[in-house]
Amino acid sequence: MDDHGLLERVRRGDQQAFSRLYALYQSAIYRYAMHMCGAAAADDVVQDTFVALLGRPARYDPSRGSILSYLFGIARHHVSKRLAVRENESPLDTPDDVVDDATPLDLVSRDELVGQVREAIQSLPPAYREAVVLCELQEMDYATAAAIMHCPIGTVRSRLHRAKAMLMTKLAARQGAPLATTRPTR
Amino acid sequence: MTERQTADRVLADALRVIADQDTHASASPDVEARVMAAFNAVAMARRRRARATVAGLAAAAAIVTAVAIPLWRSRSGEIARRSAQTQAATTRREVTTAFMPLVYSGVPIVDGHVVRMEVPRASLVSFGLVPVDGADGTQGTSSGTVLADVIVGDDGLARAVRFVRARPRAEERKDR
Repeated sequence: MDDHGLLERVRRGDQQAFSRLYALYQSAIYRYAMHMCGAAAADDVVQDTFVALLGRPARYDPSRGSILSYLFGIARHHVSKRLAVRENESPLDTPDDVVDDATPLDLVSRDELVGQVREAIQSLPPAYREAVVLCELQEMDYATAAAIMHCPIGTVRSRLHRAKAMLMTKLAARQGAPLATTRPTR
Repeated sequence: MTERQTADRVLADALRVIADQDTHASASPDVEARVMAAFNAVAMARRRRARATVAGLAAAAAIVTAVAIPLWRSRSGEIARRSAQTQAATTRREVTTAFMPLVYSGVPIVDGHVVRMEVPRASLVSFGLVPVDGADGTQGTSSGTVLADVIVGDDGLARAVRFVRARPRAEERKDR
């Protein structure tokens, strides 16, 4: 059964359909929320997203995108509310000025590098962090990410480009040596 | 490959590692329990609303029935009274048959009118009456029609008909 059929069954009160929908998408929503506002808040975002879906299943319009995009739209709203109350975070739709020039990084171990990249992602301004999370960590295409972020595809590309430049700048600032001297492994 | 390109690739690899590491990250079981509880609460509330709606409709139907039936009866009585009055007024000069039911006589009526019209003389036969030219007792016309009073409901459907004839002058004088 496709997503739309599942949602139709949810509207009719089918608990199994809702359980299936939750199992399909909770992880993607959780990972997005975890990267955007931290693991502690991610659980709450997942809960708020699916409870919101219960309250308005009829508002989903298949012509405007997939159910995943619809759920991300709800999750994004809840993430944005959480970010808004944090003093050091900018709203998702108002990007900060960025530095484009990366500096060299020192030699770091692979695990250390991955850890540092995680931390660097967390320190990005929300609009840029969101581009990295959706396009790189969730491996979404630009069109889907643009639909979720409510912006043109070009804006997604440019935010992603700037985000990567900022990541390299942050990593280089920590190490002071070329990033190219180490390679992460899976 | 330039240093920048190499750095880009290293960063891309690091991002892929993070994506792979996070693949199985998911909300805690508590969240699923709370969400499913919310689903059950919403479903129960909807069922309750549906039951309340059905009960409300049933109550509304009962009220409408309770109000409409006496009203219909009183209106029907009123129509019958009006017919009787019309009949009384015309009794002195006319002789009528009883009202005979038509096809839609079974359809409930709230209001209606008695309409006098000319109908083909041959229609008498369909009601078991025998037309006899000049002596059948009905008031005929030169075009082969007879007069009839038809009860027409406010919905436009004819409920009953009676045939009318003029009272012979001799009978009128006898009554006086």
